[in-house]
Amino acid sequence: MASIARTAALPLLLLLAALVPFTNNDFYVALGVSLLMYATLATAWGVFAGPTKYISLATAAFFGVGAYTVGLFYEKVPMLLLYPLAAIIGAVLAAFVGLTTLRIQGMYFTIFTFGLAELIRQFMTWYQRNVSGSVGVYILTDISARQIYWSLLVLLALTLLGSWLLSRSRWGLALLMIGEDELAARHSGVRTTAVKVIALAVTSAVMAVVGAIVAPRWTYLDPSIAFNPTLSFMPAVIALLGGMQRFWGPLAGAIPLVILFDQLNARYPTSYTLILGLLFMVIVFVLPDGILGLLPKLQRLRAPAAPAVTPAPGAGTLSEPVTPAAPARQTSPGVDGTSGVVTTASATGTTLLEVRDLRKAFGGIVAVDELSFEIREGEVFGIIGPNGSGKTTVLNLISGVYEPDRGEIVFLGRPITGKPPEDIARLGIARTFQLVRIYPALTCLDHVIPAALFGGHARTLTEARDHAVHILEELGMGAFLHVPAGQLNFIDQKRLELARALALRPKLLLLDEWLAGLNPSEMVIGMELIESLRGRGMTIVLIEHLMQAVRRLCDRCIVMSFGQKIAEGVPDDVLRDPEVVRVYLGEADDA
Amino acid sequence: MASLLDALVTGLVYGGVYALLALGLTLQYGVARILNLAYGDFLIAAAVFATLLYQHYQLSPLVSLVLVAPISFLVHLLVYHLVFVQLERRSGSWRAMEASSILLAFGLSFVVSGAMLAIFGGKLFSYSYLLVPVHILGSVVPANRLLAFVLALVFGGIAYLLLVRTRIGTAIRAIAVDPDGAPLAGIDVRRWAGITFAFGGIICAAGGVLISMFQTFNVPMGVSFTLKALVVVIMGGVGNAVGALVAGLILGVTESFVARYVSPGLTLAAVYGLFVLAVLTMRTGILGRALR
Repeated sequence: MASIARTAALPLLLLLAALVPFTNNDFYVALGVSLLMYATLATAWGVFAGPTKYISLATAAFFGVGAYTVGLFYEKVPMLLLYPLAAIIGAVLAAFVGLTTLRIQGMYFTIFTFGLAELIRQFMTWYQRNVSGSVGVYILTDISARQIYWSLLVLLALTLLGSWLLSRSRWGLALLMIGEDELAARHSGVRTTAVKVIALAVTSAVMAVVGAIVAPRWTYLDPSIAFNPTLSFMPAVIALLGGMQRFWGPLAGAIPLVILFDQLNARYPTSYTLILGLLFMVIVFVLPDGILGLLPKLQRLRAPAAPAVTPAPGAGTLSEPVTPAAPARQTSPGVDGTSGVVTTASATGTTLLEVRDLRKAFGGIVAVDELSFEIREGEVFGIIGPNGSGKTTVLNLISGVYEPDRGEIVFLGRPITGKPPEDIARLGIARTFQLVRIYPALTCLDHVIPAALFGGHARTLTEARDHAVHILEELGMGAFLHVPAGQLNFIDQKRLELARALALRPKLLLLDEWLAGLNPSEMVIGMELIESLRGRGMTIVLIEHLMQAVRRLCDRCIVMSFGQKIAEGVPDDVLRDPEVVRVYLGEADDA
Repeated sequence: MASLLDALVTGLVYGGVYALLALGLTLQYGVARILNLAYGDFLIAAAVFATLLYQHYQLSPLVSLVLVAPISFLVHLLVYHLVFVQLERRSGSWRAMEASSILLAFGLSFVVSGAMLAIFGGKLFSYSYLLVPVHILGSVVPANRLLAFVLALVFGGIAYLLLVRTRIGTAIRAIAVDPDGAPLAGIDVRRWAGITFAFGGIICAAGGVLISMFQTFNVPMGVSFTLKALVVVIMGGVGNAVGALVAGLILGVTESFVARYVSPGLTLAAVYGLFVLAVLTMRTGILGRALR
């Protein structure tokens, strides 16, 4: 019932808002225009910044570009064409910013956006002085304040609808994952750069259209109006006040703030900026989760009805002995979901992955040196060696985290050297991490669904969801579907990573010290799990320190020392090799 | 030919000051992990301070320099402990803290510039100090610029030596490299990060006073100084003092050439061009690896 009321609330509210201009009160319409303008800007800003945590300070740039599109062309181009034109210009500008700075993590994006409005403002000032010979432009149209009001209302409705649809789609999930752990997202097959750039471009296009709609309200437009820094500042304050990742957030933030600042601007025009800044700092401090953060009931608006199946931590479920996917070992539909492919357990002999003369140096340290090996389909292949011998680097080279300096990696007959992690994940190489990389705030299901989706085999969200549930249940994690991953104990976090890797339906599974840190009884369960995977013909690369695990699980293994391969073969033979013994235990001493 | 030389000399003078500014900012970002978007506004505050002292009491900017350093140190120390440390205590994850600290610094920038706007508005500030022509390399430079340039290099050099040659400097660099590991070596991270932030504040204020000696400025210009310092930091590589010097000089010369031969209205575009180039081609700054 509550959800119906919630669903109906928005259209009702928008309809009511649409009636405001009929009051014929100019003050209300003017205030409404400000309100709608900032609410739309804040919604668009929050759609990108909320989940990804990339802070853009360039709202004014996109808004101003939209306003100037109208200012410069309204006499030559019909108004209705100017909106899409503004959207396109805004999106192209945003795509440029995104492609330049979003490819790299870190603060480059924020810094670039910080000055973007300033840059365009300077450019427009220069353009007008030198080309058109004036400071600003006059915009004389017959568009009334009411029309602006209604246009903004429609745009706000569309933006909210878009934000709602996005939060329910795979792309919404992808944005969330980017905010939590970008590298892990890539290994789930998410094309993070593309997702970020597209999201930024679309939200910036909305901002540009807001600018285009509002432009006729000022009859005179100059760069200091159109690119006013307050325009970048306010949406961020509003989104933050309302609660960043909340659907209602920007609306809840816009109403009090816009009214407040309307009053402040009228009464204290000189200290306006100061008050704005102070208030903003207070908001960041006092309400880091926004007004709506005070209502924890609304917290999981985003999740499509996740009722309380969630066992409370410590309610017994987490401490129960974990059962491996025992039934899965007998039946053919695999843990990996490769239901159709029934391969026999033994290695068939065809080469799945070939590594040739691989080399990777970090400065003066050669982590991997002229390494070559082959992995055959269906085998469990061990990579062992002392700490710092380059094992994890090999995994990182195969899975695309690093680009090798030299050498070649061929997977299924195709070279994959230098491809980005997301492409390699999509080709069917999945991995786990030495130190678990989970998103503490997301539920187990939310970890696995994206891998099923972006791995490229689940077409719909429902399909991916079913697949994810299936995998988690088979790994004995059916009780934790809606539990935030941060609450899991260690082996369950490890199983969650495995589930995420398996959801890609990999042809090759890379396990980086997956057994490390488990206690002895968990270890037994873990090893049984890997055996059951092998039993179903999964090819596995295992980096491991535990010799008993290597002996029991691996068909073949290589030993690495200082980046080089020093032995290769069946574990029992390799571990007897005098060179291997020397590397692990040191020189035989005299005593 | 003379104008080419003029442009070059002017560019180098500005570049030296930009390098100093970048050094302060890179200390704040690299050690205290705060992207101080209010940097330029604090710089303007120091510049206004020096200007007012000169106009009302005929106090030499060199005296202002001595006065403004401890004030700026205290203000920045307070800002660090009262604002940013409190924020870190409140927020759970580091990513969440990073996002909100950027927004907080953005807010701070509005507060600092807003306070000055409320008092001075958009009024232009300038005073004539040491306006004596000096002939150098066949070009004529006002003595105030030359003095600013030399002082910028001296201050930068002192800061660099403090970082590289002293125990405390070593501790600070340790924090920059590994804030989680530094406490294991007995370094009080919170304390020294705060002091480094405040030390960056001294450099910022010194830069402000130097700029006031030769350039007309107003309050809204703070943003552009923040931006230039940030660009130099990125070009030079975060935490790289020598890189900052080279990048600062490149930025200064580029700006001066664009202003002279293209249009003074497009200098910011030149700054951005360099930023894009730096980000696209040199991920660790022009001199390769960061100073650590």
